[in-house]
This record gives sequence, C-alpha cells and structure tokens, in this order.
Amino acid sequence: MSALIAKLKRTPLPRSSASMTFLLMTVMFAVVPVAAGSTFSTFSVYTALQIFGTYGLIALALGITMIAGQFDLSTLGMYSLGGMVAVKLGQGAPMTGVAAAVLVGAVAGLIQGSIVSRFRINSMAVTLGGFLVLLGLSRTLGDDRTVSYDDVGVGIILDRPLAAVLSMHTLVVLGCFVLIATVMARTRLGRDIRAVGGDARASHIAGVHVERVTTGVFVISGVLAGLAGALNAFTLSSALVNPGFAPLVFAGTAALIGGVGLAGGRGTAWGIALGALSLSLLQAMFGMLASPSWVSSIITGVLLAAAAAFSGLRRQTVWMAWKRSMSHMTNRNPGRLGGNGISP
Amino acid sequence: MTGEMVLTVPTESGRKNRRSIGRAETLLAVATLAVLVYGALTTDGFLTLEGLKATVSGVGILGIVAVGMTCVTLSGSLFCLTLGSTLTISSMAFLSWMSIGVLPALVLTIVMGALVCAVQGLLIGGLAANPIVVTVGLGSLQIGVASWLTNQSTVYPPAGASYQWLSAVYAGLPLSVYVLVALVLAVAAWLSWSRTGQLIRLVGENSRAARAAGIPVTGTVVAGFVIAGGCAALGGVLLGATDGNATLLSGGDRYTYDAIAAVLVGGAAAGGGRGKVQHTVYGALFIALISNMLLLRGFGGGAQMLVTGVLVLIVLLIFQMRRRVR
Repeated sequence: MSALIAKLKRTPLPRSSASMTFLLMTVMFAVVPVAAGSTFSTFSVYTALQIFGTYGLIALALGITMIAGQFDLSTLGMYSLGGMVAVKLGQGAPMTGVAAAVLVGAVAGLIQGSIVSRFRINSMAVTLGGFLVLLGLSRTLGDDRTVSYDDVGVGIILDRPLAAVLSMHTLVVLGCFVLIATVMARTRLGRDIRAVGGDARASHIAGVHVERVTTGVFVISGVLAGLAGALNAFTLSSALVNPGFAPLVFAGTAALIGGVGLAGGRGTAWGIALGALSLSLLQAMFGMLASPSWVSSIITGVLLAAAAAFSGLRRQTVWMAWKRSMSHMTNRNPGRLGGNGISP
Repeated sequence: MTGEMVLTVPTESGRKNRRSIGRAETLLAVATLAVLVYGALTTDGFLTLEGLKATVSGVGILGIVAVGMTCVTLSGSLFCLTLGSTLTISSMAFLSWMSIGVLPALVLTIVMGALVCAVQGLLIGGLAANPIVVTVGLGSLQIGVASWLTNQSTVYPPAGASYQWLSAVYAGLPLSVYVLVALVLAVAAWLSWSRTGQLIRLVGENSRAARAAGIPVTGTVVAGFVIAGGCAALGGVLLGATDGNATLLSGGDRYTYDAIAAVLVGGAAAGGGRGKVQHTVYGALFIALISNMLLLRGFGGGAQMLVTGVLVLIVLLIFQMRRRVR
C-alpha cells in the first residue's frame, strides 16, 4: 500500500501521462485492427481525426472551465444551439452562420459566467439552468425537429481530405487548440486561469481579478462550444435537436486523460488535445473493428470512472499525507516542549 | 428536529436556515398562486379538475426520481447525472424479469438500481472522486451493458403477466402519485429521524469536517446514492408498466434534467447540506404547472425546457441573494 502511495506521488506530470496514453492509443490503433485482419490506410487516420474534429472543441471548452475550477455543463446545450443558429442564419452565407453561433456562445458564456462569479453560485447548478435554456432555445428555434442545411457543398468543402488525413474541419479545430494553448502558456490570462482554479482566494489576494477571469473562462467555453456546434452542423448538413450525452462523456474523458485535475488549477490545452486525440483513435479503432456501439460506450464509461477514481485517489493521498504530518507534529510537540522547553 | 439541531452545531445558522426555508415556502406559495391565477385567467382548461389532475399525474414518476436526486444533492455529491439512465435500464430489466413474477421482478429491479448507484456512491464518497464525472461515466457503462444485453431492441413484458395494477388509475390519479406521497413521507422521516439520514446533511455541508469528526462519510454518501438508485428503479418500474415496453431510446435523460431542476427550484443548496424532499416535490409540481400551461397554450417541449431553465436560474439567484443579505 505504501509503495503504491509512493508511486502515485512520484507519478510524473499529467502532461507526460497524457502523452503516454496517446502513444499507447497510437500503437493500438496501428496494430490491433491489422491483427484483426483489416487493412491500415490513411483513411483510418482521417476518420480518427474527423472524430477529433467533431468533439475536440467541446473537450477544450469543458477542459478550460475545469482548469479554472468550474464545470460548464451548458456546453452540451450550446453545442446544439450553435448548430441550430448556424443552420438557421447561415443559409446561403455559412460564415454569417458561424459568426452568429460564436456570438450567441459568447453571450451565453458571459451571462452564466457573470452569475457564477458575481453571485458565487455553484457553476454546476447555474450551467444546468443554462443548459436547459440553451437546449430549449435550440428546440424552439428548430420546432423540435432536425433542421437541414440546404447548401450541402459547405459540408463537402469542410470535410474534404487535405493531405490525405486532414480536413478544413480538423484544421480549424487544431487552430483553436494552438490559439488556446498559446494563451494558456504565454499570457497573463492563462496564468491567472490556472491560479484561480488552484486557489481562488489566494489569487484574489495576489491581485488577480477572479471575477473577470472566471467570467472570461465561461465566455471562451461558450464561444468554443458554439463554434463546435456550427462546424458539426455544416458537416452533417443539419442541426440536431438533441445531441445526447455523448459529447459530454467524450469531453470529460478527454480532459481527464489529458491531465486536467478535477479540483482545478492543473492541466494544459495540449493535454486536452492529446486526451481528445487518444479517445478519437480509440473510437476510430472500434469503428474499424466494426464492433457494435455498446463496446465503445462500455470502454469509455470504464475509462471515465477509472480516471475520476484515480484523480480522487491522488488528491486523497495528498490529504492523507498532510494529515499524517499534522499528527506527527501534535505527537512530537509535547515531548519536545517537556524535554527542551526547560533548558533551551 | 432536536437531533438535527444538535448535529448542525452552530445553532444560530441552524435557525437562520430554518427561517430562510420558511420564507422560501411563502415565496413558492405566492409564485404558485400567481401562476394559478394567471393561468386561470388566460388559459382555457388550465384551472379545471381535469387540468390539475393531468398536472399532478405527470409529476408522479418525475417526483419519485427527484426525491432520490435530493438525497444525492443533500449528501454534497452535487447531482447524479444519470438517474434517467438508471430509470431506463430499470424499466427494461423489470419488463424482462417479469417472467419470474411481478413482485420478485419489482424487488429485484429496485435492488439492481440501488446497487448500480451504490457503486457510484462508493467511488464518490470513498475516493472523493468528482460526482459528475463518475455518474456520467457509470451511466455510459449502464447504457452500454443494457444495449449489449438487449441487442438494442425493445423489451416487452412476457405474455399474460398481470402488472396492469402498477399503472392503473385509482380515484382519478395513477398509482405513481400515491407511491410518491408515501415515498416523500418515508424519506423525509428517514432524513430527520434516522442517524444516517441526519448525517447526510452534515456530510453534505462539510465532508472534510465530517471525516475529521469520525463520521463514516463513505457509508453516508453510499446511503444517499442507494436511496437515489432505488427511487430511480421504482420510477422505471412504474414507467415500464405504464408504457408496456421499454427501449434505450425512450428518452430517460429528460428525467435527469427535470429532477435536478425540481431539486433546485425546491431551493436545495446545490453544494449539499440544505434542502428538503417535500420542497423538491413542490418544485416538481411548480414546474409541471407551468409546463402544463405552456402545453395548453400550444408550446412545444423546447419552450417548456427553456422556461424550466429560466426558472432554475431565477430561483438560484433569489436564494443566493437572500443568503447574502443575512
């Protein structure tokens, strides 16, 4: 047991455990389907990257709020609303549709972020309300039906393979990751986001505008989720009314694999990207093996629960170590005082 | 009540809580009255016996799930995001197990629901794992296993099974409403009088302090989840009996969101520790009243969802501002 705890403490930085997972998934992706008798082609890589394109931004949106110590459930609603807005307003003008979806996402994030930071209400509760509002809006706009996008050409351009494995869609998503990663690594905002997620009170004392940073994080999350919804709607040439839980499951798992700590403060955009890529490779592999959808759903479920348990375990070992050091102090002090207190 | 006072040690804040909850009741009553008057004046068929019966009937199964959700929230584990999935798989399990008899199937289903959720409680209470991630992960697992076992087909009850009494209407209301009333009484009594029930609030208020005080945090959280799973399974049994079939596509997710909305509109603190099952059911009724009014005026499910969301946000803001004023 103590060996296990010591090992957990020595577990390298989350970022490198994310790259280990990514490496493992890449090897499995290359080996397992071939061993099962199917042929490996660039098309399978393209498929994996398309899955990354579909869910990557949601993972980034959720992950960045988790780094800031919050949890944005409304990304699911915004994913749906973004698609609906893009399809409704983007008939004949796809860029307008995307811009509108992004704008709606920013507004939704601003409102929810303000409520969370100004009134200090649990972000889960607020964003559940926000989720209902956004999904309700989306369903009202679409009259509770899937709305189709007439210009099929947009989707074709968006998803045409570029350099065999990429597409416009995945390039846009990768671009967003590069942008957010740069912001997180190089700017004051990025540092503040991690600081607020790690310890909001300490950050406040250190002069960080906690309220502004928290609100900003929700705006970023809304924008990313809106963009993800718009892109996905163009890919499918239709706006789905209810995306279900799948995007949230993917996003949460990707963020955790990517080393985003559930307690906040830990994690990078690169980690989230690696987590999302690992999961995309896994899902694409199941697709190549032609396994039924439940296999993927079971594996993701186990992964997610295991990652959450592992993350909780790590936190607890830290907590236990702290408690042990406390008990050492209280045990030792009386003796010291008795022995050394009299003759200094 | 005295037990609760002893456990929530700072008596002053205890009194504060009770006063604020008392005010919350007045607030909800006034709001309900306003909705009733407005609905009666503007919407045909709203304030009729039939209209109200329809509203109350609709609350039955949702209320049962929401009572379970309240126990999870009270224990400080935020929400179980997959009680709807548990409900769905429970209705499937109940219908397919009915070949061994209706009552054994009922008991077995409730045990299964309780076990499924107990695992979540074990991970959350024992390892301090994030409740959202654990419940979503294990929900995905539930759906995966169910779709594997059923091959994604619709489950029908065995021919000749006499389960109709579970969905029958007694004195104008379906059985689910009576079950809900009994359940609320039982869970409310459990929460205020049993030791574990009292501990749930304490753990929800501050799990670290509770752990330091030697309170079995893990067991308490698991107890909350067991109740939640049992409630969701009971709801699933009633839903399966009402529909006469069950599939993974029957939209159980709706129950998750609506139950959380009911908990929040009922004024329970999302972070745990404060709230009552009676208030949750009241919240569910209030949401149902408004949804029914919207339905009668020709709005679809989207508008009902939208209004529920706005309601949740308003109630959160009101309660938070009241707490801050004090």
